[in-house]
Amino acid sequence: MAGFFREAARRVFAKELKDSNLTSKDENDQYAPQYLLTPTGANVNRIFIVGTLIEKEDIGTDSEYWRGRVSDPTGSFLIYAGQYQPEAAQFLAECEMPAFVAVIGKTSTYTTDDGNVLTSIRPESIQQVDELTRNLWVLDTAKQTLERIRAVEAQEDPNYKLAKEHYSIDPEIYREMVKKALESLKDNT
Amino acid sequence: MKQTAESIRDRFMKIGIDVPVEDIESRLDELIKKFKVPSNEAQRSVTNYFLKKYSIPKNEFYVRQAEPQLTKIVDITENGQWANLNAKVVQLWENTHESISQVGLLGDETGIIKFTIWKNAELPLLEQGESYLLRSVVVGEYNGRFQVQVNKNSSIEKLSEPVIMGGGDFTPVAREAELRNIADLAGNQWATVRGKVIQLWENSHESIEQAGLIGDETGVIKFTNWASSELPDMEEGKSYMLKNVVVSEWNGKAQVQLNRSSSIEALDEDIEVRTSMFTYFGAMVDIQTGSGLIKRCPECKRALVKGACAEHGKVKGEYDLRIKAVLDSGTSTQDALINRELTEELSGISLDSAIAMAADALDPGVVLDKLKHELVGRYYTVTGHKLDRYILVESITPSTSLDRELLDQMLAEPLAEQEVE
Repeated sequence: MAGFFREAARRVFAKELKDSNLTSKDENDQYAPQYLLTPTGANVNRIFIVGTLIEKEDIGTDSEYWRGRVSDPTGSFLIYAGQYQPEAAQFLAECEMPAFVAVIGKTSTYTTDDGNVLTSIRPESIQQVDELTRNLWVLDTAKQTLERIRAVEAQEDPNYKLAKEHYSIDPEIYREMVKKALESLKDNT
Repeated sequence: MKQTAESIRDRFMKIGIDVPVEDIESRLDELIKKFKVPSNEAQRSVTNYFLKKYSIPKNEFYVRQAEPQLTKIVDITENGQWANLNAKVVQLWENTHESISQVGLLGDETGIIKFTIWKNAELPLLEQGESYLLRSVVVGEYNGRFQVQVNKNSSIEKLSEPVIMGGGDFTPVAREAELRNIADLAGNQWATVRGKVIQLWENSHESIEQAGLIGDETGVIKFTNWASSELPDMEEGKSYMLKNVVVSEWNGKAQVQLNRSSSIEALDEDIEVRTSMFTYFGAMVDIQTGSGLIKRCPECKRALVKGACAEHGKVKGEYDLRIKAVLDSGTSTQDALINRELTEELSGISLDSAIAMAADALDPGVVLDKLKHELVGRYYTVTGHKLDRYILVESITPSTSLDRELLDQMLAEPLAEQEVE
């Protein structure tokens, strides 16, 4: 199994994921993973988020297909779970709301008719967690986002360079975002 | 091809048969070009064809052909080549397989080569230190090294005059491997190491006497003491000198193996091991199959798959509880093996209650679900020795509070200012 490695689960806030629209995939290999490059240069295949499940709805027609909305201090993530994510779908069907949840999954994108790219998460696992875990995640994600912002500014490797070129967004916006997220931790404790 | 045809013709000429070279060539041509047969195979096939055609017994033909030439060991360069050797038995090894009569090393003035005498060759036993003429042995290749095989077409004749060995006397006793630091060990060499046994593992196979980890001031390495080495057991926490061990590499990691040529000496000192304890912080993002309530083989302690042990077949398993977890820092992932004790402590599920849960639900999967429910998505710090891709977890601590210092520090970071390093 040489060459196989597990994709690390990236830590990205909801706002940054929502702003992301640059996907890439090795075209020569149909099993190659798809990556989503975020404005701060995270190359996301797998993602780990902890937030509050605030909405859920079964939008399936024949079989169950669940959509959930998980919020963090900067916005919200959409997660979709159907028959191929049985554990996650079952969790969404049964859980109470609101609840702190930890979601591990793969990012996917959908391009609308007018060219907008919508990002969502296909969960591999959803578990209910406590508030402490949620706060730890915010701190963790803040730290990793700041590190990426610094790397984008320094243009340390091709990914960061590409992110800077593709998203002509001032990285300061994300520094603000991180700051707000951190302040929310300060407030409620 | 012309050359090959000529050489076949020459061989037949020697026994007085004139085979038309065009016939040979056209047969070779068909096999090689049309049927893509490798040249040496085609040569053999064509030779056999004419042997049959002229009713010459194969043995007679080949023996006669092989008789006059003696090959030096250094000239053994081709897989599948037949050879006659004048050589001395340098060393006899322990027999590893029932179909083998003898195995060891042969030497002449040009070199040393491994030999194997198959049982079905029905030849008399060789004695170490004696010299022999070995007729019609076959050269084989294994792992890029040549060796000679003595089979039932071969013959052995004891020589009265000993074969002189090149490069001085090769005797195994004269070779004692160099003492090395554990951190410097690399594959395919002999070495002597001194270190402290820091961990002994549950024996996973009956041919293994002991396996575990040994460490010195420079690092830690896996060791295996094979049962066939007939060496004494070592104790955890004691220091030893391991002489003449084989360093091999598996999956890019060096390990040492003790065999019959190795020796173990207990040392009085207490070697200080450079601890390769490894700490990893991250979120538990997955618990893999094979976790939770499992059954192990009572003989070898391996986890059973569908009630059967890979070594011992269907057995009545013993219950155990463990977790194969994946931790993730956001930039890397780390597999961690968590044993029963720590699993019980971490999840609050004892082995007995896990068995009861599984019995209630008629499904051991409920234990795995419960573990996932309790643990996945949370942050942990694990510490343990690293082995291949796993950390063998010795302690695991859930994060119980927010790092205020880090929070304040990050909040204090100026917004607009660019960092220059």
